[in-house]
Amino acid sequence: MDHPRILRARIFRGVIWLLFTILGVNLFILQMPRHRHFKNQALENRQVSLPIKGPRGRILDRDGVILADNLYIADISLPLDALQDSIPDPTLSRLMSWFGLPEQETLARLADQQDRGRRRLTLIANASHTQYAIVEEYRQDLPGARVDARARRRYLYGPLFAHIVGHVGEVNQADLDTAAAGAVYRLGDMKGKLGIERALESQLRGRNGEKIVEVNASGQIVGSEPLWRQRVGPGKDVTLTLSYTLQASLRELFGERPGCGVAIALPSGEVLAAYSSPSYDPNMLTTVISPAEWERLINDPAKPFFNRVLQGTYSPGSLYKPVTSLCGLSQEVIGTHSVLEACYGGYYFGDRLFRCWKWGGHGELDHGEALVHSCDVFYYQLGLRLEIDQLHATALSLGLGKRCSDLFATEVAGNIPTAAWYDRRYGAHKWTRGIMLNNAIGQGEILVTPLQMVQLAGLLATGGEMFHLTFVQNPAPVAQPMPSLPFSDTHLRWVQHNLEQVVDVGTGTAANLAGIPVAGKTGTTQNPHGKDHAWFMCYAPADAPEVALAVILENAGHGGAEAAPVAGRWLHSYFDWASQNDEGEPVALAKDQGEN
Amino acid sequence: MHLIDQIVKTVDQRLLLVFFMLIVFSLALLWSVTEPIRGPYEDLDPGVPKSIFFRQVLWACAGVLMMLVAARLPLRQLENAAWLLYLSLLLLLVLVLVVGSSVSGSRRWLVLGPLRMQPSELAKIALIITTASILSRQHTVRRQIWPALATLFLMTAYFLLVLREPDLGTALVFPAIWMGMIFWFGISGVFLLGLLTCVLSAVISFYSQSVLEHAWPWSVYIVVLIGLLYMGRLRVLSSAFILLGNIAAGLGIPYFWDRLQDYQQKRIMSFFDPASDAFGSGYQVIQSKVAIGSGGLFGTHYLQGTQKGLAFLPERHTDFIFSVAGEELGFAGAIVILALYLFVILRGLDLALKSRRPFPAYLAIGIATYFAFHVVVNVAITSGLLPVTGMPLPLISYGGSNLLTSAFLYGLLINIDARSFDL
Repeated sequence: MDHPRILRARIFRGVIWLLFTILGVNLFILQMPRHRHFKNQALENRQVSLPIKGPRGRILDRDGVILADNLYIADISLPLDALQDSIPDPTLSRLMSWFGLPEQETLARLADQQDRGRRRLTLIANASHTQYAIVEEYRQDLPGARVDARARRRYLYGPLFAHIVGHVGEVNQADLDTAAAGAVYRLGDMKGKLGIERALESQLRGRNGEKIVEVNASGQIVGSEPLWRQRVGPGKDVTLTLSYTLQASLRELFGERPGCGVAIALPSGEVLAAYSSPSYDPNMLTTVISPAEWERLINDPAKPFFNRVLQGTYSPGSLYKPVTSLCGLSQEVIGTHSVLEACYGGYYFGDRLFRCWKWGGHGELDHGEALVHSCDVFYYQLGLRLEIDQLHATALSLGLGKRCSDLFATEVAGNIPTAAWYDRRYGAHKWTRGIMLNNAIGQGEILVTPLQMVQLAGLLATGGEMFHLTFVQNPAPVAQPMPSLPFSDTHLRWVQHNLEQVVDVGTGTAANLAGIPVAGKTGTTQNPHGKDHAWFMCYAPADAPEVALAVILENAGHGGAEAAPVAGRWLHSYFDWASQNDEGEPVALAKDQGEN
Repeated sequence: MHLIDQIVKTVDQRLLLVFFMLIVFSLALLWSVTEPIRGPYEDLDPGVPKSIFFRQVLWACAGVLMMLVAARLPLRQLENAAWLLYLSLLLLLVLVLVVGSSVSGSRRWLVLGPLRMQPSELAKIALIITTASILSRQHTVRRQIWPALATLFLMTAYFLLVLREPDLGTALVFPAIWMGMIFWFGISGVFLLGLLTCVLSAVISFYSQSVLEHAWPWSVYIVVLIGLLYMGRLRVLSSAFILLGNIAAGLGIPYFWDRLQDYQQKRIMSFFDPASDAFGSGYQVIQSKVAIGSGGLFGTHYLQGTQKGLAFLPERHTDFIFSVAGEELGFAGAIVILALYLFVILRGLDLALKSRRPFPAYLAIGIATYFAFHVVVNVAITSGLLPVTGMPLPLISYGGSNLLTSAFLYGLLINIDARSFDL
């Protein structure tokens, strides 16, 4: 053996022994002389890291009224083994008898929580002060029981904004599995499930944090100042363009009648009110809802969960007549004062009679009068002069057949049929020009949403010079102007004039306001399932439009008789509200757009 | 059975016994650490699932098999396969950077169907075998500088690739193993001087730029170095090498510092200045020290350790398993575990001395260094003597790749042992 090797082995061995001795001595110091110190630290107070949920941002109306915030509530919970093989432990039995809880129902509920893999059993959600005072007071007799504070989402006006604000729910496995969301969500976190809560989740969501606290041997937090590892980030507030006042007056006008109304500011496109009737209370979706109550709501024939503003698809009926007119005028198949065959209450196409809504007939009308009095016979004839694809193009340029905003995932596009669509539906050439009669008066296969109808009213009012619809003021959306309309000013002014006539002398006189000119259009759509739906769309003031409104009352009857008065009364409260607002609506809008 | 008989008869049975003792320690500690948490902290800490234990049982079985295979491998063929091994692992290390699966920001894993493996662990084996092969071939040549530089170059390639994943802890194993083996090779005074001054240059450069925020102390150092080299009358070539190495180290360190992840910078700074990040990486060390310290002489709460001291200790089944040993088995248990490792390392050193052929000797030194570095650094981290970085405790920490690597190297040690008596 060579000597350098032996020397090196000696050095190597020396270094190893030295290092291991250092480790051993260090362990000795930690575990022997300082043992008591660490033992106490382990037994008495020790620092633990606790996950803290970041509070969710609030949702406010345009005037600062809080629509959704967080409520801090206390739950009384028990460890998982409080219930074993349906036999309650002493703590659980004691609490059930003290609080007078029905035994069977409670045990079934807790067993269900066990099955769902909860880490603790929630005996009482949202406990009263008395209840949690009892648990804190008799801690010694109630091993395992604990009071947990947690934030609950609160919707202050419940049903009033349910369909717009939406609601939150607990994250599900899919949310946790998503790679992008994985870092963000923890089990038990809340996430927006519908409406604004869902659409602006990233804005509203708080950032979860972690804090280090000292706990004693029984797990109670001691010491006052938490040391933060990662600070909690509160979510950001969201301000809607909707107004509590205007929303409330809309709801009042509907009562429990099924239907909906939506109003926008012009030219900003800001949605001022949007109410779908009947509504539901979103608060019950964030707490515990009884199965019976749930059944009742789901099976309610008035469909309270159905968001009519965004998802309701209806035939536009006579609301479509301005579209047909603009199509005819721009295709130059008719003039603004053209006179067609007189109306005697019906029109024969082949051997089939197409009725006018007015049984006695309108007599001889020119184009403008036909729009004002909504004469079906006139529009049947106009329809026959048009191609289905021409009407489709006109409708699309007026925002129909597509979603009005990207905000809500649930918004639907409706349907504006084309020749290709009819080919698919009935087979090529298996349909006749008879469909043009129905299309011209907005019946048949055309489907629109109330949101599209208020946008249509706005586009007609402003001649297309308005912005895309928005529901949110802050975070400020990028204000995008709508594409300009492919119609001449003369034709647009002709439509505007006649819509004003509708309210002055035509079918919509019930929407008349003293001192403020209103323009509008009534509609009555046939409905295979019952009485006709009553439509009305309008804008005001007719000479300088600042607000547009669309209203539909399901199965209510005639648009002029049922929907127009609702619109008139809402416009009345709108102008009251606008005059009380010091700054005045248009000024505020101009400022907002300037910032973008 | 014949194979096992053969092994048991021919090898040092103490070495075999120590292997199984370490495996038993591993499983006993993992069983305890995966017990569900009871008591006041039960819903503050999610605990470690029992499935971890059962998976480790499977890995341990595979590890025993791996050890047996390595114990019978013909060493000469292993020597011949050194380059193939080096290049395949190089390829895998590049591959993992391209298609590796990413876990919390670092790409360390290759996923092959149900199997996940860490090429950086296997690269430790490859580095030991390749370095041993090169150094043993050059054994009789007088000019020792070239094999040293060649192996330095091969090691640096692995080091940089693993650092890029990024996995600082694993990357540091490569230079450590290389230094152990090159020490055995016997480095010339000039080479040693060069290496030491390079490290000094890096440290001075780091301090002057990160802490003092001036470059002049390093500039002064370089000027002094030039003066010393001139006065030392070294050969021009050697002087140039040393000077270039120093400048590269000094200029390179800020670059590497910037390359480090935020958390790694924090850990290093927090080690120099613990108050700077007391509740970031400091938190883990505080929890770990409390756990070890509360163990006392004979430990507390075996099978319920998580009830008191160990709740909230992150990574307690992997890198921080020694804290579990410290708490549940006490000073006595911790010293027994350290003694087992010490036995393995010193045995490796003995084998290196006894071995007639150079290749097994270098293997033994490489393996001894591997175990020494892992154990010393891991225990030093858990007991608060070194900044936190990922470093498993070989054969005990949870994790398949490291267990198989350690078992294979352990098997090689047994293999060398059998041969050193044969020959």
